[in-house]
Amino acid sequence: MTAVLPRSLLCCLLLLLAGSPLRAGQGLTPLPGAVPAPDFVLPDTDGKLHRLSDYRGKTVIINFWATWCPPCRDEIPSMNRAWQQLRQEDVVMLAINLGEDEDTIFLFTADYPAEFPLLLDRHGAVIADWPVKGLPTTYIVAPDGSLAYRAIGGRAWDDSEILETLRALQKQR
Amino acid sequence: MMNQVNVHRLFLLLFLPGLLSAAEVIRSAVNDATGLRKWHLVEGNLEVELVQRLPDQTRGFFLARGFPAAIADEIAASCIFQTIIRNTGSQAADRAVSVDLAQWRVLHETGEQGIRLKEPWIASWPETAVSEASRLAFQWATFPTRQEFRADDYNWGMTAFGLPPGAVFDLDLVWKEDGEAHTARIAAVECAPDVERLQ
Repeated sequence: MTAVLPRSLLCCLLLLLAGSPLRAGQGLTPLPGAVPAPDFVLPDTDGKLHRLSDYRGKTVIINFWATWCPPCRDEIPSMNRAWQQLRQEDVVMLAINLGEDEDTIFLFTADYPAEFPLLLDRHGAVIADWPVKGLPTTYIVAPDGSLAYRAIGGRAWDDSEILETLRALQKQR
Repeated sequence: MMNQVNVHRLFLLLFLPGLLSAAEVIRSAVNDATGLRKWHLVEGNLEVELVQRLPDQTRGFFLARGFPAAIADEIAASCIFQTIIRNTGSQAADRAVSVDLAQWRVLHETGEQGIRLKEPWIASWPETAVSEASRLAFQWATFPTRQEFRADDYNWGMTAFGLPPGAVFDLDLVWKEDGEAHTARIAAVECAPDVERLQ
């Protein structure tokens, strides 16, 4: 009897988990084939230009987002916390805003502070070159400039597993 | 021995319905704060949530992004749901889920139709009527017509079911898991009513 009950409870627990509400994912999807990341030049909210290829030798997190996108907003605090841990380790974080202006983003950052660069893709020209279907989508660019990982939807970016994946990629350079 | 039999009976009584529905879990719930309803399906590696959007809510969103009032009204009155689709797998090797909204069917008392897809909708607007910024907002705020989800991936966006506010319909969903086709039906989905009908 004692053997039956725990198995039954475990089974039910698994079923309950299968029906749990939608939650933020944790995994990064590895991308095979070392496909080169499309290069771009975009200004950040301070007017400074960022060219992706200038970051060769570093792991670069490229996040596509918009202020009106709820899961984009949800992941910004964890991106900030991850950035605090990774910025001294040659990992770069660039969040590319889609279609909005500096004023909109400035107001937004009063509620959602972001210390990493926020780039402006005002006309959607850069996102059109990337394999992105929805917001948020994040690509991890390896130090050799190839697309290494992808995350569709928000993530908890300060999750230890994700941080270790990013650090391991940086060590491979 | 008697105790063991009772435990088995208790287990069957309490949990067999859950076991039988493990392959497909469909739930409907009401948000107490807003009065809006949502429908939630879990089957295989697919998880879908449809959350009602009030016509006013959608109208306001698109007006704030520069849409002309007539087009914002048309979108708002098209039975818009916030749709969230997720691959429930947690390992990179888990089955990929592919969704093509063009294959989904809306079954209504007036007949059967497809979802109103974004591409022909955007193409129908005269260039002078809707600005580039407004088109971009619509393009990215609405759910992609086709998308593949790997483990832990999810996306969200508006979908238009092309029915008037308050209409009730069944939704036949089609998706693939590693190329294998699956279907499911969510019955009695309700388009959000106009605000005046909520009062």
